[in-house]
Amino acid sequence: MKLSLYIHADTPLHRLHPLVKVVGVFCFFVAAFTAERPLQSLALGGLIAALWWLSSAMANAWRFRWLLTMVFFMTFLVWSLFFQSREPWLSWGPIHLGEDGVSFAFATACRLTAFFAAGLLFLSTTRVEEFADALRMMGVPAKLGFAMTLAFRLVPVFVDAALSVVQAQRCRGFDFDRGNWFQRVRHYLPVIVPVFIGALRRADLMAMALEARGFQRQGQRTSFRTYGLSGLDFAALLVSLTLMIVWLCWARLTD
Amino acid sequence: MSVPTQFAAYLHHVTFTYEGALSPALRQVDLAIRRGEMVLIMGASHAGKSTLVKLLNRTIPSFQGGTLTGEIWLLGQRCEQHTVADFAGRIGLVAQDFEAQLFSTSVDCEVAFALEQFAVPPAEMRERVHAALQAVGLEGFERRDPATLSGGEKQRLAIAAMLALGPELLVLDEPTTDLDPLGKEEVLAVLARLRKEGRTLVVVEHEALAAEMADRIVFLAEGRVVGDMAARDALRDPEWFRRCAVRPPDLALLAYRAGWSEVPASPELAAAKVEERLARTALGSLHARRGQPRTSRDQILLAADELWFQYDEGGPFVLADVSLEIRAGEFVALLGHNGSGKTTLAKCFNGLLRPLRGQVRLKGTPILGISSVDRAASVGYVFQNPDHQIFAARVWDEVAFGPRNLGLSEEVMHERVREALAAVSLLERADDDPFWLTKGERQRLAVASLLALRPEVLILDEPTTGLDYNEQRQVMELVCRLHRQGMTVIMITHTAWLVAEYAERVVLLHQGRVLFDGATLELFGREDLMSAARFRLPEIVRLGQRCGVPVRSVEEFMAVFAAAPEDKR
Repeated sequence: MKLSLYIHADTPLHRLHPLVKVVGVFCFFVAAFTAERPLQSLALGGLIAALWWLSSAMANAWRFRWLLTMVFFMTFLVWSLFFQSREPWLSWGPIHLGEDGVSFAFATACRLTAFFAAGLLFLSTTRVEEFADALRMMGVPAKLGFAMTLAFRLVPVFVDAALSVVQAQRCRGFDFDRGNWFQRVRHYLPVIVPVFIGALRRADLMAMALEARGFQRQGQRTSFRTYGLSGLDFAALLVSLTLMIVWLCWARLTD
Repeated sequence: MSVPTQFAAYLHHVTFTYEGALSPALRQVDLAIRRGEMVLIMGASHAGKSTLVKLLNRTIPSFQGGTLTGEIWLLGQRCEQHTVADFAGRIGLVAQDFEAQLFSTSVDCEVAFALEQFAVPPAEMRERVHAALQAVGLEGFERRDPATLSGGEKQRLAIAAMLALGPELLVLDEPTTDLDPLGKEEVLAVLARLRKEGRTLVVVEHEALAAEMADRIVFLAEGRVVGDMAARDALRDPEWFRRCAVRPPDLALLAYRAGWSEVPASPELAAAKVEERLARTALGSLHARRGQPRTSRDQILLAADELWFQYDEGGPFVLADVSLEIRAGEFVALLGHNGSGKTTLAKCFNGLLRPLRGQVRLKGTPILGISSVDRAASVGYVFQNPDHQIFAARVWDEVAFGPRNLGLSEEVMHERVREALAAVSLLERADDDPFWLTKGERQRLAVASLLALRPEVLILDEPTTGLDYNEQRQVMELVCRLHRQGMTVIMITHTAWLVAEYAERVVLLHQGRVLFDGATLELFGREDLMSAARFRLPEIVRLGQRCGVPVRSVEEFMAVFAAAPEDKR
């Protein structure tokens, strides 16, 4: 079973300089942050979908379809219910459901989903090492950059361990679907404890391995991966920045 | 006496006690590793092997604290306040768990990591990465994701990651544990190559094959060096291995029992010696010693009908048209390399995995039609790693977890837990925290926690992984005892001698297909299958075949051949 997010492929998005990708994601986040109208949200969604398709990373979108759908619907539901609508269609206790609320909820749900989708796309097309390299180019110290990207390296490992543990406890007659929601959380102790202890043990071993490979050394470091800026990188940079500026003007004008 | 600075490593009266531990892990250890030498360290679990190798690159005391006395010289330097970083690059330590030492997304980045830390220029880095990968036979793997490699390949990658720095001393902690025979062979071949290059190697190893290539063996017991001798001398007296919980090489044991002065280098050479020196006694006694084979009248307990399985849609078939029947009271070994589909098949047997096509039946009922709780009560599955299931703070509670899930009464539960703990000889540890048990004890605890469910079949996935020879024997004796009491046992393994000595029937899987299903000794006679599955027979079995006697162990061999009178001293 494949657990890491990175998708091995050779697409323009994969080939982009990691720093350019970080800038691109940043521009997209800014745009998403300022999108408040449904039309703008749709534009964002269309853009990210096109990029997903371009990077042949659709398999990941499919893997995380439930997560993305959940994020969208939960956000939409919560915001439409609790937005204090000025001209509500329906008022019931603290809930004032109205057109402005629904439209705001839709935009927020789109925005949040777009955040997730953009992040996921970045991780699907960028190796963890490239991400760390980009952080270092931005001036983040090498050790800190490694630590920041460590989560992405380790999450698949822990997910894998958790799946094993779940199976092992099933073999002992453990029924995960028993009891109410609260009881179930408590039920997960037989899964959480072995995964947690395993994670600690692994972290300890990994720290020793890192030491033995000179991780604690002071001073200059080099990178095995060399990055050149190609025409594609400049084009991508230009497009990202231009789009962001155009977007900000649009958001401003429609305000 | 020679000067400590001449040695790659020199330990004088070293005693180390871990923080919070009651007794020292190492006591008064004297050890001198000459440059260009290959030294093997052998000993039972908890004899201090890992502690000793961690001293060799300063992981102890700079990483794991404790009280250290005595003198340590590394690469000619007297160590005082040195840390791991001071020797990083010059001393490489490949620690025990290779999985935890790999964290990159491609093979070449993994090897380059250490070079990056040492600010090696990119052009030179590429050359060194290439050279390191070549040294471990991983050229062409550069772009692969380490997670997709086999165990042997991962271990070789971990070695390459250390080699890239060109260490003067390379220390490896149990590099072949957890590997299938093929992986073991690959890693041992790498060690042989490094040795030829004249590298200084210190290797902790349970694998007796390694003894044949080492210069010297250091035996540890309870933190002390109890033996330090030329490997050739150690091989002449297999008692050394037995005392330190290492399975002695078959031929060394045979030579010892037969009173030969030299250990033959191969089963072929041994066969010539046998004809010359030993007399065959009754072959019949051998058959009498083995139990009666199961009859086909026994009830069919588990049946797999044309199973097909794949993990990812469109991916390869991990199981392809697998059909077999397991009868009540059988002892079946599931054999095959990593990725051959053993574990997948076993997980289909207890309904953990749902096959794409085909079905598994338990006494005729489709297994997926049975509730998961009832399944657990009928088919016990002991996972490979006991730490994937142990969570309770008391041994007793750990075992009681299963019966509680079945909803048994307090009284019945009590009886079952007691019975299960007694079966694995852990009853007196009932109140202890499982965290403090040894790996062998944790493995037995895992077996107990499934026994308490009183299953009809017990599936064991590599039950002896990571255990020393004595612990392996204990676990296997436990399994045999259960089998004699009527338990049906399915054991996944790739350890040749376990199969030879314990299994009546073998199912050999290869690339998701059943390559062979029948009597163990019959399989051993099929050289074509053995080489297709790249399975290496124990030396004693090969010797037996040469001499025309199907035997499973040195004991059986000696029962057939007795030392000729003139040879007895």
